[in-house]
Parts: sequence; C-alpha cells; structure tokens
Amino acid sequence: MRVNFVLSEVAAGLRRNLTMTVAMILTTGISLGLMGTGLLIANMIGDMREIYYDKVQVSIYLTDDVSDPQRDAIAAALEGSPEVRNYIYESKAEAYERFTQQFQEQPALIANTPEDALPESFRVELVNPERYEVIAQEFPVGENGVEDVRDEGDFLDRLFSLLNGARNATIAVAVVQALASLLLISNSIQLAAFNRRNETNIMRLVGASRWYTQLPFILEAALAGLIGAGLAIGGLVLTKVLFVDKTLAGPIKAGIIPPVDWSAIAAISPIIAAAGVGLASVAAYVTLRLYVRL
Amino acid sequence: MIELQHVTKIYPTSPRPALDDVSMQIDKGEFVFLIGSSGSGKSTFLRLLLKEDNPTKGVVKVNDKNLGTMSKWQVPKLRRTMGCVFQDFRLLRNKTVAENVAFALEVINKPQRTIKRVVPEVLEMVGLEGKENRLPNELSGGEQQRVAIARAFVNRPLVLLADEPTGNLDPETSQDIMLLLERINRTGTTVVMATHDYHIVDSMRRRVIELNDGVVSRDQSRGVYGVGR
Repeated sequence: MRVNFVLSEVAAGLRRNLTMTVAMILTTGISLGLMGTGLLIANMIGDMREIYYDKVQVSIYLTDDVSDPQRDAIAAALEGSPEVRNYIYESKAEAYERFTQQFQEQPALIANTPEDALPESFRVELVNPERYEVIAQEFPVGENGVEDVRDEGDFLDRLFSLLNGARNATIAVAVVQALASLLLISNSIQLAAFNRRNETNIMRLVGASRWYTQLPFILEAALAGLIGAGLAIGGLVLTKVLFVDKTLAGPIKAGIIPPVDWSAIAAISPIIAAAGVGLASVAAYVTLRLYVRL
Repeated sequence: MIELQHVTKIYPTSPRPALDDVSMQIDKGEFVFLIGSSGSGKSTFLRLLLKEDNPTKGVVKVNDKNLGTMSKWQVPKLRRTMGCVFQDFRLLRNKTVAENVAFALEVINKPQRTIKRVVPEVLEMVGLEGKENRLPNELSGGEQQRVAIARAFVNRPLVLLADEPTGNLDPETSQDIMLLLERINRTGTTVVMATHDYHIVDSMRRRVIELNDGVVSRDQSRGVYGVGR
C-alpha cells in the first residue's frame, strides 16, 4: 500500500469539503464529549456510593430534652438488637464539629449556626440495609426522647436516582448527537465520493482493489473522528480545570462530592478516541457499501 | 480470449433486451470493430466484458475466465488485464500527463521503480515525449486521447476496449489515433473498438461485428461499415 498516495488523497478529501469536515468534527466532538461526561458521572456515582452507603444507614435523632436514662435505653436496645451491626453515638458538640468540617468553605453558614442547633443522634449500621422499617418500629418517633428516625439510605437512593437521571440524560443527548454526527459523516463521505468520482472511476477501471479505493474515504472519516475525540477530551480537561476543580472545590474537600481525578479522564480518553474512530470508520464503510459505487 | 455464449442482458427499466442471445468469439491479437446505431448494445457489450454489469442470461468469458462465477474481489485482477479508452478521454484535470499515466500504476500498487521506468516509455510510444508535465487542458483533443491510450496501455493489458475513441476528434487526428491503436494491436493486444466512424472502418478492413437492437446482425472478417449507413 502506497502510504503517501493514500495520505495525500485523505488530505485532499478533507480540504475539499472543509465546511462539512468542520461540521463532522464538531458534532462528533460534542457527542463524544457528552459521552465522556456521562462516563465520568457514572464513575462519580460509583465513588459516591462508596463514600455514603458504607457509613450510615439509619440515623436516630434525639430530642433536645432527652434524659440520660432514655439515651442509655436506646443504646442498650441497639446493642441488643440482632438487626444492628454497629452504631455510634454523636453528641451535639460532635455533630457541630462535623458540620463545621463539612461546610468549612462557607464560614457564613457556620457563623449563623448556633453550636447547639444540631441534634444529638445515634448513627446505626444495619446488618441488612433494607431492614430500616424494623428499626423505625422499635423506636417510635416522639417517644422516649426520639425526635426522628431517618432512613439515610432512602435519602441516598433519591440522590442517586437524581444523579443516575443526569447520567442517563447526558448519555441520551450524546446518543442523539452521535446519530446526527453519523448522518453527517455519511453525507460528507457521499459528497467526497462524488467529488472524487473521476479518480475512483479510473481506479475501478484500471483494477485498483476495493480497499485501495475505499481506504482514503474511511481514513478521512476516521481522522475526523479522532480530531473530534481530541476536542472532546480537551473539553473534559477544561471542564475539570475550570468548573469541577474551582466551583466544586468546597464540597469536594469536605468529602461530599468525590473529586474528578486525572486518572479517571485518562481512563476514559482511550474509550472516547476508540469510539470516535470506530463509529466514524464504520459509518464511512457502510455508506460506501450502500450508496457509493466504487 | 473473449467469448460470449447466448448472452442476454435486460435492464429493469427497459422492456427490450439490450443484448439478445448474443454469441461470439474474439481471439487473441484480433482487432475488432463493434458497430451499430446508438442503443444497439455496444456499450452494454463492453460493460459486460469489464464485469461492470452481469448478464441476465448466458456466459461471458475473458482470458478463459468465466466472469459469471468470478467473485467480487477477483474483479480488480480481471480489469488489470484490460485497458479502457473512452470518447471523453476521462483524464484527471489536476494531474499532469505523466501523473495521469502513473496514477493507473500507483493505484494497483506497482513499485515506484517500475513506474519511473515505464511511464516515459509508453509516453514516447504514443508520441507525447516532451509533454510529460503538461496538464490535460493544455493539450489538443488528439493529444488528450493519446494520454488516455497511454494510461490504458501502460500496464500491458491483454485486451484494449475502446468506446468511440475518435468520437470527439477530427478525421485527421482520428487517423493518427487509429495508427496508434493498430500499433498496440501489433504488440499482441486484442483491440475491441466500438465506433460510428465509417471512414475508419472502411479504410482499416478489420473484423466487423454489427449489433442491431441487441442482436448480432453481421460478423465479417475484413469488413466495411455497410451500405445501410
């Protein structure tokens, strides 16, 4: 295979339909960027599950006027319950300390919160996280100094379903965008083939192999896909540096949101590049097969 | 060399067959004129030889190979043994004379050494030495057709198919082109030329196959164009 010949054909092809090439690269880039974002969110959801689910499953908040015997009774009940794997007691002071740590980036919020505003609580880890109801029945709200029993898992489930929704929406938009970019690729390959019909007709007549005739077109699409993937990865890097690392610095430091690591971006970059090159090449190949006589 | 056995070609858009039960044999080294009015089936005949199209019925053989049983990936190999020349030259406008000829070799992956050697040879043979670096639109019609013939012949095909190669040329230039095709024929290459040019057919006195509404109405060695013109 004459590499120079093929490459010069590719370059000529891309130059000849510059506007289509740019459109092809941009749509591919956006689609791949959204796909990458979806993958990063999925990663993040995984990390967040680890952060949250392992810690607390049920919180039992105590009233302000809870008496020592009441508190001891609850502790004893938790100690004796077969449903409970582990529990910790958190006093008002400890709760406040955790609060100040979590919101250290927002001093105003901390300043406005009196030290005794946060209730004391028992944080309970269950043997089976699904068995929240049993604990709730055992400690009826409003009796024996119990202010509230909250299934943190339930809250987390809602949080995660929100995040999953965001991920799915991102991927859905990516798919639609990918469809648009596939159609654009197909269209621009048809245009390129039409522009080069004199060359390809001659190639056909002098007995150039099908591969030799098709390869420049497929490489053209693949190159556009690769550049699109480059743009997408660049976009993700910029998003991390300019948005995630700056705007979300507080919650990340507080451990509420897991950071987006460079390693995560490095891990999905090859996937994005492979998807870009692969989809573009396949679209080009199918187009040549279906619509173009070579 | 070329053999057709009861070949019928029906295009889906036309009620009448383009070729109707055509049988013929063309031997190696022959020079054959294919004549007949427009729509008589000449172009269909040439397309079938190139396997650009398949016959509806019958067998087409080129170089003793049955094109009907030939798989798709073998078609390029077949076409490497055939050269094609057309009425409209079909040169690449952005490539020079030498580049146009070299293109035919590059795309079938001939080594650069070979290309450097054979391109000047064939250009000299067709009488274009000194014009290697011209672009097609800087040449006369006759010269452009010489480039096209050089491109068709550079890979030393066994068969040269010419579809009205003199159709766009004046009589004098046409004579020169015919001399060139004759010369190529003398190297042992079979030449099949579709034409309307009775001067040429009458003066050359070669085998004439006349197609009429898709049927061979005359097959005559050392023939003339015919009285019905």
